[in-house]
Amino acid sequence: MTEHVEPLFSRPLLPLANADDAELTCAAAFPRIAAAGGRASVVHVIEKAGGAPDKASVEQREAVADELFDIARRAADDAGIDLHTDLRFATDVGDAILDAAAEADATAIVFIPRGGRSWWDLFSGAVRDQLVRHSDRPVVVLPAGTDDDGGSET
Amino acid sequence: MTDEELAKDLGPVAALTIGVGTMIGAGIFVLPREAYGIAGPAVALSFVVGGIISLFTALSASELGTAMPKAGGSYYYVNHALGPLFGSIAGMGNWMGLAFASAFYVIGFGDFLVSVVSIPAVNLGVVSLSAVQVAAILAGLLFIGVNYVGAKETGTLQVVIVITLVLILTAFSILGFLEADLTTLRPFAPSELGGYGAVLPGTALVFVSFLGFAKITTVAEEIKNPGRNLPFAVVGSVVIVTTMYAILMIIMASIKPWQELSAAGADPVVEVAQLSFESVLGLGALGSGVIIFGGLLATASSANASILASSRINFAMGRDKLVTAWLNEIHPRFATPYRSIAVTGFIIVFSLVAVDDIKVLAKAGSALHLIVYGLLNLALIVMRESDAPEYDPEFTVPFYPLTPILGAVFSFGLIAFLDPIEIGLSVLFVVFGIVWYLFYARERTDKRGILSRYVLSRSSELPDAAVSAASTVQPDGGYRVMVPLSNPESERDLVSLAGSVAKANGGTLVGVHIVKVPDQTPLESAREEYDFDEADRLLEQARVDADELDVDIETHTVLSHRSFEEVFDAAETYNADLVVMGWGPDSHGSPGRAESAFEEITHALPYDVLVLKDRGFDPSHVLVPTAGGPDSDLSASIASVLREFCDAEVELLHVADDETEGERFLREWADERGLGDATLTVETGDVETAIESHATEASLLVIGATERGLLSRLVRGTVVMDVVDDVECSVLMAEQSRTRSIRKRLFG
Repeated sequence: MTEHVEPLFSRPLLPLANADDAELTCAAAFPRIAAAGGRASVVHVIEKAGGAPDKASVEQREAVADELFDIARRAADDAGIDLHTDLRFATDVGDAILDAAAEADATAIVFIPRGGRSWWDLFSGAVRDQLVRHSDRPVVVLPAGTDDDGGSET
Repeated sequence: MTDEELAKDLGPVAALTIGVGTMIGAGIFVLPREAYGIAGPAVALSFVVGGIISLFTALSASELGTAMPKAGGSYYYVNHALGPLFGSIAGMGNWMGLAFASAFYVIGFGDFLVSVVSIPAVNLGVVSLSAVQVAAILAGLLFIGVNYVGAKETGTLQVVIVITLVLILTAFSILGFLEADLTTLRPFAPSELGGYGAVLPGTALVFVSFLGFAKITTVAEEIKNPGRNLPFAVVGSVVIVTTMYAILMIIMASIKPWQELSAAGADPVVEVAQLSFESVLGLGALGSGVIIFGGLLATASSANASILASSRINFAMGRDKLVTAWLNEIHPRFATPYRSIAVTGFIIVFSLVAVDDIKVLAKAGSALHLIVYGLLNLALIVMRESDAPEYDPEFTVPFYPLTPILGAVFSFGLIAFLDPIEIGLSVLFVVFGIVWYLFYARERTDKRGILSRYVLSRSSELPDAAVSAASTVQPDGGYRVMVPLSNPESERDLVSLAGSVAKANGGTLVGVHIVKVPDQTPLESAREEYDFDEADRLLEQARVDADELDVDIETHTVLSHRSFEEVFDAAETYNADLVVMGWGPDSHGSPGRAESAFEEITHALPYDVLVLKDRGFDPSHVLVPTAGGPDSDLSASIASVLREFCDAEVELLHVADDETEGERFLREWADERGLGDATLTVETGDVETAIESHATEASLLVIGATERGLLSRLVRGTVVMDVVDDVECSVLMAEQSRTRSIRKRLFG
């Protein structure tokens, strides 16, 4: 056991998939981070086909990233916490999130599950699975749409 | 930097397969029967001619692509160079052309599918669909679905498909070659079909087989090392498919006489494959099976690549506001441009159901592409001739200007060999593009073509007709106010001033921070080494201030070896209608020695300029001296904006020889400009003394440049008017656009 244990929410990494996800995740996580006196990193991964044309233009996807980082910035301002944004391009979304967490020396990876019961949702389901299975740091799954009681979970 | 490398992950082979995969499709698998019927064995020459025509355009597309590796390809270059009117024609033409070509590809797919599985014809009462149509619609829906959900694996699959196809067709050629009997080829150009005169009509028919090389440029932004790989892929794919087509057409016609190949109900590729596989390997069934399999792969990959390319064109058009942003929303779960794909899909399915003879549509699709290719060649000439500083292609076409001129002439010329109905259809879509521009895009887009900038900036040298033509087609929407920001102290004042004007015009604020890089440091390395923290803070603050005012803002950091002059380049680049800048000892550095170049800029100033001598910005009491004249119009409109958004009290000052005459003039002047309720002051005597004495009570003095050249005088460091230095309040100097007043004179 290490002597010094950092609170989960002191330096968490939040993977954001789309605008709605950003809205929900930030609303649920930022008050907790503020309560722990922490700062947040958010990461968005643009999935690349890796040697074949992508399903959408890179510039188009970057615009989406800008939009959701803006949402996160506004939410961070409201919550009064520092925010670090990280945009990545990768063929494997899960790996990229884990890399981002390692690079930011994140205290936890925090996300809200996005539905995922539908049969075609292999993609985000797989990412979630990978985070849970292969992460070398705590993974926190927050419930969506609960009251922001600001309770820190140390 | 590594992110950029990751974002660009298409290697040369992947890029090449986009071109080859789209081109080898329905053209070679479906058209040969009809093609032999038009020109006999000489149709091999038709393919060669098609390849040569494509090659010219391919070279031009390569140069434009290496200069502007942006999503959207041909459309983007045409819109950028020739402006949004031609952009609308090219964008709509390219999009519809792709949709029609896709419809043709899936019909080809359906043709092959019904030969392996049995599919029923459907009668829906209103329309009856043949088995081929049903199969085509099913296939179309499948390809659209795949792109809608967007599996990243489809792209990789495409590469495998193309390699398989090339292998199949190579095996087919080799086996066929062993069976070939060259005497069957004679007469090469049968006289009953018109001899060699039938070659060009043949090209017009088969040109649909060449649509594809330009699609590589639609994904240019994803190509690794585009300077080398883009020309390689674009030109290479044309050369590869032209060679393959020519060889295949010769081989088929040397195995079976063309009369049999073009007989009704014949299926040349399958029959010849069966023959040659049978006699060489004793496996005739394998031959036809492999070719049918190849046909399915080829048409599928063509349709798939076309659907993908059309969504890129939609995106690029949306970026320039030629289509609604709604179309280009990214699906939250699939991260695909799902609406664009669905709309394209709808057009494909609609044309499958509505049009009986899909070949007519395919040829109309080629005609639309030929128009786009022609415009693309013209775009290259415009980019070269206008000498735009940002135009720096890594690959340049050989034999300029001959190459793009021939490219344009051949592309437009080939249209003449199509049937009237196909030409009519394509003209219809050109008209549609124009109407679309006039009634939808014109008031929305803020993009101006290099061509119109070129014409307007040389308005004194070019004939009036050209100038008025260029200014009538200017986009009117999107009023853009640019603020060059350099020091944090004056940032807020400039943003609130510029923001108010932007807001009053329903426009956008463009915050630009120009970073002066020492001459000896190359811009590229400065981009990597420079610490952007300060710039980011400054622009971030501007965003916050703009948010407070509730104005849209976009921000840019520009690296330049110059500082003051760069403001004007940036204003051109970001299409500013108004530039609001500060003026002080450390505002924008001292201007360089390029005075003569600068004279040229201010001579034909294409936007309004406000220069703020900031002594603490306070618009509570605004003094506007006027003697009439065009530049005080701008002062008057700024005053009304300040009154509306900053609760300014406006005082108008006119100095006249005769007081009653002066009062009458000022009353009229104020009423005309909606400032009738402002305080009106008329003085006699010396103009400067009057202004100075009234300025002691004012908080802001707004002066129009009384004669041309406010800016050029500021640059030289000579004082404009002593007033500016003598008064204690802030001074706002206004200089009105020169080109715009030309337009006003012409069009009221």
